[in-house]
Amino acid sequence: MTDRNNTPIAEKGVVEQVRKISGSVWDMTIHSPAIAGASRAGQFVHVRVSDGFNPFLRRPLSVGPCRGDYLRLIFVVKGVGTRLLAGKHPGDIIDMIGPLGNPFPAPETDQYPILVAGGIGMVPLLLMDNQFVNSIDHDFLLGMRSSAHQTVDDVEIKRLKIVIASDDGSIGYHGTVIDLLENRLTELKRRKIVVYGCGPVPMLQSLKEVCVSRSIPAYISLEVSMGCGVGACQSCAVPRADGDGYYLVCRDGPAFRASAVDLNAGGRS
Amino acid sequence: MRVDTSIRMGRLDLQTPLLTGSGTFGYGDEFRSLVDYSRFGGVVTKSISLEPRPGNPPPRICETSAGGIINSIGLANLGVDGFIAGKAGVLPVDETKLFVSVVGDSVEEFVAVVERLEGVAGISGYELNVSCPNVRRGGLDLGGDRDAVAAVVSEVRSVTGRFMSVKLTPHYAVIGPVAEAAVRAGADAFTLTNTLSGMVVDAESRKPLLGNVTGGYSGPPLKPVALAKVWQAAQVVDVPIWASGGIINGIDGIEFMLAGASGLQLGSVLFADYDAPVRILEEMIEYCVRHGVDRLSDLIGRLEV
Repeated sequence: MTDRNNTPIAEKGVVEQVRKISGSVWDMTIHSPAIAGASRAGQFVHVRVSDGFNPFLRRPLSVGPCRGDYLRLIFVVKGVGTRLLAGKHPGDIIDMIGPLGNPFPAPETDQYPILVAGGIGMVPLLLMDNQFVNSIDHDFLLGMRSSAHQTVDDVEIKRLKIVIASDDGSIGYHGTVIDLLENRLTELKRRKIVVYGCGPVPMLQSLKEVCVSRSIPAYISLEVSMGCGVGACQSCAVPRADGDGYYLVCRDGPAFRASAVDLNAGGRS
Repeated sequence: MRVDTSIRMGRLDLQTPLLTGSGTFGYGDEFRSLVDYSRFGGVVTKSISLEPRPGNPPPRICETSAGGIINSIGLANLGVDGFIAGKAGVLPVDETKLFVSVVGDSVEEFVAVVERLEGVAGISGYELNVSCPNVRRGGLDLGGDRDAVAAVVSEVRSVTGRFMSVKLTPHYAVIGPVAEAAVRAGADAFTLTNTLSGMVVDAESRKPLLGNVTGGYSGPPLKPVALAKVWQAAQVVDVPIWASGGIINGIDGIEFMLAGASGLQLGSVLFADYDAPVRILEEMIEYCVRHGVDRLSDLIGRLEV
């Protein structure tokens, strides 16, 4: 899609800190100099959560903010694998391959970036903010179900000037993050916009429709079931929008031009 | 104590019995920055068909509550011409033995693919995939028919002198007659076994978890099934057997060799541990040292029944 992926690195990271952000959302800082130094926003690491084979597969997780030799993984505990990960302690070793896949392209110099996140989908966008856009004017919009499902803490929300929408109105704007996006697009209609999105597939579908109808370039990051993470097993297929077969999320994505993929049948978040 | 890990495989010598199984290690080049191929016994590529195949609708892989994983890739591949144009120059043929897995919907397709691959230097042999559970035609049906398997083997034999293994399905009640027919037709070896047909259902959504509904079940739960097939085949044919089915550690590998396997293919385990061919060999050497075995090949077929 964009530039070909770089060379995967195998690294045994060391857990520096693990903390709970809210209900089932965890934030882990890992000392992983090679991967942290090479990662770009939108890329992922393939994490072995167990020393044995239960669960059997690695877990693909977006690389969050990186600082120096450290990277952050922010994840929702959904099942056995993420529960094991959340149970790690400082000093524990994390077996990772990364950075994998293609990153988001950087905004062009005359583009005004809008980052649109749904729930845990804000992880790659935190790195995007960190690497590409914090020095230029931009918007960072985040949708969540309620204040109980916060995926980023208040300090970071304030520091990054993240604008929040919640389904129940318990925090920020009462509505969806797509409502926020449409409002901003109306306010910014004289600007040349580029949108970066990550979140649940229905949200990404709406984002794609909004952007395509206004001819605004949009890039989205997808998460799907995955095997090897390096393009060998072809498990992580997502249908191409042109109907000509499939892309692989691990190799051709996870960041795609929104118009290139068919979200009706493919990825899920 | 030094343990000799080399294995004579008909006309081929492998420096270790551990290979990567078809479909789990891509075309052989994807892991180049992560592994040292020269420490592997060999690499078996994804199955290559005559025309490119897009594969099955997603989702294509998931874990199961019984352990192991289930997949339905649907033989997605570049097609033989795309493989030759895009991959022939980057295959790890100088570092290890490279075997190309070949698939077809007909005898003619198998022959046409192999004929084209004959022009690619460095290939050590072929593995004929007559047993993929994830395609409608050919595949599983072909592998279930003794005469059809023999026809594929003998027609492919007529266009190549290279080493040729036949990968069979675990679905036979009795594997002997198919194995015997394939040897008579010119097979040099067998790979036992392919994945077991299976499916996974999500009760909450009332939906299958694979886009293709059914898929191929693999991983540790398959080991007893594959062990039985290897042992049964070893009773009736006198050609090397590559075991494939849930091997995740050195003891698994030893068990398969005792049952009659000369080679060991690693599959699903590679998704968690891509360097498993090196780790598992070390674990097998430990076993040999512990039991005073100085040649790994001395263990082949030494099961005491």
